[in-house]
Amino acid sequence: MLLKIERSFDEAKNHWNVKVQGEADISNAPEFRQALNAIYQEKAADIWIFLQDLLYMDSTGLGVIIGACGRMRSTGHEIVLCNPRDNVKKLLSITNLDRILHIENTEN
Amino acid sequence: MSDLLKFSVPGKPEYVSMVRMAVSCIANNAGFDVEAIEDIKVAVSEACTNALCHGTRQAGCYEVFCELEAGRISISVVDQAGGYDVNAYRAPELDCPREGGLGIYIIKALMDEVAIVTELGVGTQIKMVKYCNCR
Repeated sequence: MLLKIERSFDEAKNHWNVKVQGEADISNAPEFRQALNAIYQEKAADIWIFLQDLLYMDSTGLGVIIGACGRMRSTGHEIVLCNPRDNVKKLLSITNLDRILHIENTEN
Repeated sequence: MSDLLKFSVPGKPEYVSMVRMAVSCIANNAGFDVEAIEDIKVAVSEACTNALCHGTRQAGCYEVFCELEAGRISISVVDQAGGYDVNAYRAPELDCPREGGLGIYIIKALMDEVAIVTELGVGTQIKMVKYCNCR
Protein backbone atom coordinates (compact mmCIF):
# COMPACT_ATOMS: atom_id res chain seq x y z
CA MET A 1 0.00 0.00 0.00
CA LEU A 2 1.29 3.34 -0.99
CA LEU A 3 1.99 6.11 1.47
CA LYS A 4 2.12 9.46 -0.25
CA ILE A 5 4.02 12.19 1.55
CA GLU A 6 3.78 15.84 0.49
CA ARG A 7 5.76 18.55 2.19
CA SER A 8 6.04 22.29 2.15
CA PHE A 9 7.58 24.85 4.45
CA ASP A 10 5.31 27.53 5.88
CA GLU A 11 7.60 30.58 6.09
CA ALA A 12 5.02 32.67 7.94
CA LYS A 13 4.49 30.12 10.68
CA ASN A 14 8.04 28.80 10.50
CA HIS A 15 7.14 25.13 10.44
CA TRP A 16 6.95 22.24 8.02
CA ASN A 17 3.61 21.04 6.73
CA VAL A 18 3.66 17.35 5.89
CA LYS A 19 0.58 15.78 4.40
CA VAL A 20 0.39 11.99 4.48
CA GLN A 21 -2.06 10.02 2.40
CA GLY A 22 -2.79 6.30 2.30
CA GLU A 23 -1.79 3.69 4.87
CA ALA A 24 1.24 3.71 7.18
CA ASP A 25 2.44 0.24 8.11
CA ILE A 26 5.58 -1.91 8.17
CA SER A 27 5.87 -1.84 4.37
CA ASN A 28 6.49 1.89 4.20
CA ALA A 29 7.80 2.73 7.68
CA PRO A 30 11.41 3.05 6.39
CA GLU A 31 10.34 5.60 3.74
CA PHE A 32 8.24 7.50 6.27
CA ARG A 33 11.18 7.62 8.69
CA GLN A 34 13.56 8.72 5.98
CA ALA A 35 11.16 11.41 4.76
CA LEU A 36 10.82 12.94 8.24
CA ASN A 37 14.59 12.77 8.79
CA ALA A 38 15.31 14.40 5.43
CA ILE A 39 12.84 17.20 6.08
CA TYR A 40 14.30 17.93 9.48
CA GLN A 41 17.85 17.81 8.19
CA GLU A 42 16.97 20.26 5.44
CA LYS A 43 15.62 22.73 7.95
CA ALA A 44 15.30 22.14 11.66
CA ALA A 45 11.82 23.34 12.59
CA ASP A 46 8.57 21.98 14.01
CA ILE A 47 6.81 19.50 11.75
CA TRP A 48 3.03 19.58 11.43
CA ILE A 49 1.80 16.27 10.08
CA PHE A 50 -1.64 16.41 8.48
CA LEU A 51 -3.43 13.10 8.93
CA GLN A 52 -6.89 13.68 7.50
CA ASP A 53 -6.11 11.50 4.47
CA LEU A 54 -4.24 8.84 6.41
CA LEU A 55 -6.70 5.96 6.30
CA TYR A 56 -4.72 3.53 8.42
CA MET A 57 -1.80 3.53 10.82
CA ASP A 58 -0.43 0.96 13.27
CA SER A 59 2.45 0.80 15.73
CA THR A 60 5.05 0.93 12.97
CA GLY A 61 3.79 4.34 11.81
CA LEU A 62 3.46 5.48 15.42
CA GLY A 63 7.02 4.29 16.00
CA VAL A 64 8.31 6.48 13.19
CA ILE A 65 6.58 9.51 14.71
CA ILE A 66 7.79 8.69 18.24
CA GLY A 67 11.35 8.25 16.97
CA ALA A 68 11.36 11.51 15.02
CA CYS A 69 9.79 13.29 17.95
CA GLY A 70 12.51 12.07 20.31
CA ARG A 71 15.28 13.20 17.97
CA MET A 72 13.66 16.61 17.44
CA ARG A 73 12.96 17.26 21.11
CA SER A 74 16.66 17.27 21.90
CA THR A 75 16.97 20.29 19.61
CA GLY A 76 13.84 21.99 20.88
CA HIS A 77 11.34 21.16 18.17
CA GLU A 78 8.14 19.17 18.14
CA ILE A 79 5.79 17.23 15.93
CA VAL A 80 2.16 18.33 15.78
CA LEU A 81 -0.40 15.80 14.57
CA CYS A 82 -3.33 17.43 12.80
CA ASN A 83 -6.79 16.07 12.08
CA PRO A 84 -6.36 12.36 12.78
CA ARG A 85 -9.29 10.16 11.74
CA ASP A 86 -11.21 8.28 14.43
CA ASN A 87 -9.24 5.04 13.96
CA VAL A 88 -5.92 6.86 14.31
CA LYS A 89 -7.26 8.87 17.25
CA LYS A 90 -8.16 5.63 18.99
CA LEU A 91 -4.65 4.29 18.48
CA LEU A 92 -3.17 7.49 19.92
CA SER A 93 -5.54 7.24 22.86
CA ILE A 94 -4.95 3.59 23.82
CA THR A 95 -1.19 4.11 23.68
CA ASN A 96 -1.51 7.35 25.72
CA LEU A 97 0.36 9.17 22.98
CA ASP A 98 -2.45 11.72 22.84
CA ARG A 99 -1.10 12.96 26.19
CA ILE A 100 2.48 13.14 25.03
CA LEU A 101 2.16 14.33 21.45
CA HIS A 102 0.65 17.62 20.43
CA ILE A 103 -2.62 17.01 18.53
CA GLU A 104 -4.49 19.78 16.71
CA ASN A 105 -7.77 19.91 14.90
CA THR A 106 -7.43 22.47 12.13
CA GLU A 107 -10.45 21.40 10.10
CA ASN A 108 -13.81 22.90 10.88
CA MET B 1 -20.18 -25.10 13.46
CA SER B 2 -17.35 -22.81 12.42
CA ASP B 3 -15.75 -21.79 9.15
CA LEU B 4 -11.97 -21.75 8.93
CA LEU B 5 -9.96 -19.77 6.40
CA LYS B 6 -6.20 -20.28 6.11
CA PHE B 7 -3.63 -18.04 4.52
CA SER B 8 0.02 -18.72 3.99
CA VAL B 9 1.79 -15.37 3.73
CA PRO B 10 5.30 -14.69 2.44
CA GLY B 11 7.44 -13.03 5.10
CA LYS B 12 7.60 -9.71 3.29
CA PRO B 13 6.26 -6.40 4.61
CA GLU B 14 4.27 -5.64 1.45
CA TYR B 15 1.86 -8.53 2.13
CA VAL B 16 0.72 -7.29 5.55
CA SER B 17 -1.76 -4.90 3.93
CA MET B 18 -3.25 -7.78 1.95
CA VAL B 19 -3.82 -9.85 5.09
CA ARG B 20 -5.39 -6.77 6.66
CA MET B 21 -7.73 -6.31 3.70
CA ALA B 22 -8.70 -9.99 3.56
CA VAL B 23 -9.46 -10.16 7.28
CA SER B 24 -11.45 -6.92 7.19
CA CYS B 25 -13.59 -8.35 4.36
CA ILE B 26 -14.22 -11.48 6.41
CA ALA B 27 -15.15 -9.44 9.51
CA ASN B 28 -17.36 -7.17 7.44
CA ASN B 29 -19.18 -10.16 5.96
CA ALA B 30 -19.65 -11.58 9.43
CA GLY B 31 -21.46 -8.40 10.46
CA PHE B 32 -18.88 -6.62 12.63
CA ASP B 33 -19.32 -2.86 12.86
CA VAL B 34 -16.86 -0.36 11.42
CA GLU B 35 -15.04 0.29 14.71
CA ALA B 36 -14.63 -3.43 15.42
CA ILE B 37 -13.33 -4.00 11.88
CA GLU B 38 -10.75 -1.23 12.38
CA ASP B 39 -9.69 -2.84 15.67
CA ILE B 40 -9.32 -6.23 13.98
CA LYS B 41 -7.33 -4.72 11.09
CA VAL B 42 -4.84 -3.09 13.44
CA ALA B 43 -4.53 -6.16 15.68
CA VAL B 44 -3.94 -8.52 12.75
CA SER B 45 -1.38 -6.16 11.23
CA GLU B 46 0.42 -5.91 14.56
CA ALA B 47 0.57 -9.71 14.80
CA CYS B 48 1.90 -9.99 11.22
CA THR B 49 4.44 -7.23 11.91
CA ASN B 50 5.48 -9.13 15.01
CA ALA B 51 6.00 -12.30 12.94
CA LEU B 52 8.13 -10.35 10.46
CA CYS B 53 10.17 -8.60 13.13
CA HIS B 54 10.96 -11.87 14.87
CA GLY B 55 12.60 -13.37 11.85
CA THR B 56 9.99 -14.63 9.39
CA ARG B 57 11.68 -12.48 6.74
CA GLN B 58 14.41 -15.07 6.69
CA ALA B 59 12.22 -18.05 7.56
CA GLY B 60 9.87 -17.84 4.57
CA CYS B 61 6.17 -17.83 5.29
CA TYR B 62 3.86 -17.41 8.24
CA GLU B 63 0.27 -18.62 8.53
CA VAL B 64 -2.90 -16.72 9.32
CA PHE B 65 -5.95 -18.72 10.44
CA CYS B 66 -9.28 -17.04 10.59
CA GLU B 67 -12.10 -18.90 12.31
CA LEU B 68 -15.67 -17.67 12.21
CA GLU B 69 -18.26 -18.84 14.66
CA ALA B 70 -21.59 -17.38 15.67
CA GLY B 71 -20.85 -13.99 17.20
CA ARG B 72 -17.08 -14.18 17.16
CA ILE B 73 -14.01 -14.16 14.99
CA SER B 74 -10.81 -15.83 16.07
CA ILE B 75 -7.57 -15.05 14.27
CA SER B 76 -4.26 -16.79 14.77
CA VAL B 77 -0.97 -15.62 13.33
CA VAL B 78 1.56 -18.42 13.48
CA ASP B 79 5.22 -18.13 12.56
CA GLN B 80 8.07 -20.60 12.56
CA ALA B 81 10.65 -17.92 13.21
CA GLY B 82 12.24 -19.42 16.30
CA GLY B 83 10.18 -17.82 19.06
CA TYR B 84 11.52 -15.46 21.68
CA ASP B 85 12.08 -15.34 25.40
CA VAL B 86 8.79 -14.24 26.97
CA ASN B 87 10.59 -13.32 30.17
CA ALA B 88 12.52 -10.72 28.24
CA TYR B 89 9.30 -9.02 27.09
CA ARG B 90 8.71 -5.73 28.79
CA ALA B 91 5.43 -3.88 28.59
CA PRO B 92 5.94 -0.44 27.04
CA GLU B 93 6.43 2.55 29.31
CA LEU B 94 3.66 4.76 28.06
CA ASP B 95 5.08 7.88 29.67
CA CYS B 96 8.31 7.38 27.82
CA PRO B 97 7.46 5.66 24.54
CA ARG B 98 10.08 4.02 22.40
CA GLU B 99 10.04 3.45 18.70
CA GLY B 100 9.14 -0.26 18.97
CA GLY B 101 7.41 -2.54 21.42
CA LEU B 102 3.86 -1.26 21.23
CA GLY B 103 2.46 -4.04 19.02
CA ILE B 104 1.45 -6.61 21.65
CA TYR B 105 0.16 -3.88 23.93
CA ILE B 106 -2.08 -2.59 21.11
CA ILE B 107 -3.38 -6.09 20.25
CA LYS B 108 -4.35 -6.65 23.88
CA ALA B 109 -6.09 -3.29 24.02
CA LEU B 110 -8.13 -3.84 20.86
CA MET B 111 -9.15 -7.50 21.04
CA ASP B 112 -11.37 -9.25 23.60
CA GLU B 113 -9.11 -12.26 24.17
CA VAL B 114 -5.42 -12.62 23.35
CA ALA B 115 -3.18 -15.61 23.89
CA ILE B 116 0.49 -15.62 22.94
CA VAL B 117 2.35 -18.90 22.83
CA THR B 118 6.00 -18.78 21.94
CA GLU B 119 8.42 -21.65 21.97
CA LEU B 120 12.12 -20.93 21.73
CA GLY B 121 13.61 -22.67 18.73
CA VAL B 122 10.19 -23.14 17.10
CA GLY B 123 7.99 -20.11 16.69
CA THR B 124 5.21 -17.93 17.99
CA GLN B 125 1.45 -18.04 17.82
CA ILE B 126 -0.70 -15.03 18.57
CA LYS B 127 -4.36 -15.94 18.89
CA MET B 128 -6.91 -13.19 19.24
CA VAL B 129 -10.67 -13.17 19.50
CA LYS B 130 -13.21 -10.44 18.93
CA TYR B 131 -16.87 -10.81 19.85
CA CYS B 132 -19.70 -9.25 17.94
CA ASN B 133 -23.32 -8.77 18.88
CA CYS B 134 -24.27 -9.19 15.27
CA ARG B 135 -26.48 -11.94 13.84
